[in-house]
Amino acid sequence: MKFIKQINKGLRYSAVCLFMLGISGLVLSSCDPSLDVYKFDLPEAGSVPDKTPPSADFSASKVEGDWQSFKFSNLSSSATKYSWDFGDGSKATDTDVTHKFAQEGSYTVTLTASDNLNVTSTHSAVIEVVKPAVPVAILPVINEAGFEPGSTACGSAADGRDCWRNSDLGGVIQTTASPVFEGKQAAKFPTTSDRIGYQELKVTPNTNYVLSYYYVLKTSPQGSLTVSVLPGGGYTNLNTALSSAIASFVGTDQSNANQYVKVNIPFNSGANNMVSILITNKNVEGRVDAFSISF
Amino acid sequence: MKIRAIKYVRASVAAMMLISASSCGTDFLSPEPDSAISATGFYKTEDQVLNAVLNMYDGIQGVNALSQTDADLNHAIQVEYYVTEMRSDNTKTKSGEGEAAQFENQTVVPTNGIVYDYYRSFYDVINRANTVLEHLDVVSDTNRPKFEGEAKFVRAYANFNLVRLFGDIPLADKVIGVNDREKQFTRVPKAQVYDLIISDLKTAVATLDNAYKNRASKAAAETLLAKVYLTLGTNYVDAQKLLENVMNEGFSLQSNFNDVFYKENNNEIIFAIGFLDNPATESQGFSAEWLNSVGRSSGVNYVTDDAAAALDALGGNRTATSYRVDPALPSKKQVAKYFPNGENGGPTGVVFKSNPRAAGNDWIVLRYADVLLMHVEAIMAGGDSTMVPAALNSFQQIRNRAGLTTPVTKITKQMLLDERRVEFAFENQRLFDLIRFNKAEEVMKAYSDANGYSFSSTDLFLPIPQREINLSHGLMKQNPGY
Repeated sequence: MKFIKQINKGLRYSAVCLFMLGISGLVLSSCDPSLDVYKFDLPEAGSVPDKTPPSADFSASKVEGDWQSFKFSNLSSSATKYSWDFGDGSKATDTDVTHKFAQEGSYTVTLTASDNLNVTSTHSAVIEVVKPAVPVAILPVINEAGFEPGSTACGSAADGRDCWRNSDLGGVIQTTASPVFEGKQAAKFPTTSDRIGYQELKVTPNTNYVLSYYYVLKTSPQGSLTVSVLPGGGYTNLNTALSSAIASFVGTDQSNANQYVKVNIPFNSGANNMVSILITNKNVEGRVDAFSISF
Repeated sequence: MKIRAIKYVRASVAAMMLISASSCGTDFLSPEPDSAISATGFYKTEDQVLNAVLNMYDGIQGVNALSQTDADLNHAIQVEYYVTEMRSDNTKTKSGEGEAAQFENQTVVPTNGIVYDYYRSFYDVINRANTVLEHLDVVSDTNRPKFEGEAKFVRAYANFNLVRLFGDIPLADKVIGVNDREKQFTRVPKAQVYDLIISDLKTAVATLDNAYKNRASKAAAETLLAKVYLTLGTNYVDAQKLLENVMNEGFSLQSNFNDVFYKENNNEIIFAIGFLDNPATESQGFSAEWLNSVGRSSGVNYVTDDAAAALDALGGNRTATSYRVDPALPSKKQVAKYFPNGENGGPTGVVFKSNPRAAGNDWIVLRYADVLLMHVEAIMAGGDSTMVPAALNSFQQIRNRAGLTTPVTKITKQMLLDERRVEFAFENQRLFDLIRFNKAEEVMKAYSDANGYSFSSTDLFLPIPQREINLSHGLMKQNPGY
């Protein structure tokens, strides 16, 4: 009996001690924030720093057909309010904006992105507003167009032939002083028909041009002189070149060996940034002079 | 005493087991299962590589939810309309509910399952293409260039869609191993992706012929490469040349617009994803989804009033083939280009002889009309209008076929954009056309405001799927706005 009583007392005492410990534990822990007990409590407002502050960004692109207007696409993250400053005195607060600048110039456009904690971030870019020049189609320059001596544009010989060479397609043209259409020289193509004239010209695609020149043939034997316009350049095979012509003229007028005849070859440059002129003859001696090109 | 002895016996038995285990070698403990086949060492014959080639197109077909209902399978082309047409002013859900409605509302979230479906489907397609490219050594000399061309075309086709939809993306230029985390999760700049696309298409143009319409072809590669150049706004002359090549390869417009969609593999088709109504594993389910509760959804890819108005005004004889009023719900409109197996469901819209959920309608990716209208775009070369005769000629052919025969003397950019809308309505082109013509923000903002959606320019790119972001453990950054 005594024994049991003692046990009970012991239990009672330990219960009270535990209770006291518990209370003191509570008291202690309410003063010490590092205790594990607190890990399930909610943090106070503002006690944890924001890991995703706003980040401002945007991209700008021109508005088609309006050189003064630009579209600004907002690429910011973690922001709720936006403020645009276009650098020309005007501002805006939309997310994405289109802005028309009154004049040409260099403008610094700034976007300020902010969130509800009033943290801000800015991004700037310089926008160049330029009134575009009206694009004019390229009118190519034909070098040694009249086969005159004196030009070193394509080689040091300066004999009026260097700009017309292509040794893959054929031999270099001969020159002649009589008859010529104008100037001192014209190009001569002998009866052996193994000489060619070739020149590459830079053009605007899908544009109408007219290639003009003058030619004359000896009265016999029967033959012709052909000028072809080839798409692109870089030709190394005569048959390939001739068969790919986009326009050509076969000259067969042998009525007068001293009278040059004018030819106009209209063509459209199509899907090409470059065309090539190719001159060839067959059977009879011929001369060409005074090439020109217009729209 | 007794206890101690047992302890020693236990220990020595254990020791003996250890010794015996180690002396048998690792093969004994981890034998290769005889029935398992792995990719390494599988492709030994040309026929097996041919299977890998056909497997690419199988990947593009995707799975029809009718036959295999697991949502985690790849549905590929069968869900493309969600991430393209339904994000434009052309289509939306019938009832504005569910995950699918995020597209028209411009509230797509990175956890969107359809976005993830499309993303993983086409990375799987790219993987199938890379598998072909990795095993060309066992292919004969005659066929090797063709298989290479096909695989590169498919890879470029997939990459072109992914880069336009997601922006910077991981570049899978070879089979990616499970451990190659760098390649899986590094988002590469768009310009680099385009370099691979262009190089792949150039190889395809050089090595393919025009034998197929449901597999890669030279004309398909030329047409797609032209579209890539137009998208980048560069090489307009090269694009024009490519398209003029296709114009000499024997394709033509169908005189009846309806035949384009309901006469399989007609002469206007350049590249289409093939389907069969039987077996169901080869069929497509999207035709049914576009009808009123015929598929698993209650109705998606429904035609907007905006698109219907454009078609009514400018479509000519294309309008009747393009959309119709929903017979069961006359206030709404449905796409009419892809009725399942050609059946429109009768007066109620839901009565079919064949199974509408197992449709054999091929999905048209590229057709000759696109070549003609891109020809105009290439000649325009980024300008505001053109009067070049070659462009007028191409444009007029499209107009004449639509029954709009008044001669056109000048084509403006807006006219070309409008013509593309009514010619290619509901063919998954509208969103890309708007972006390429630099009109997406203006048009989508106006459309969004008019309909109470919440469009902003960051919506023009889809979010990278959240699962990929998570798996990357910080390597992948999300697109802005998500």
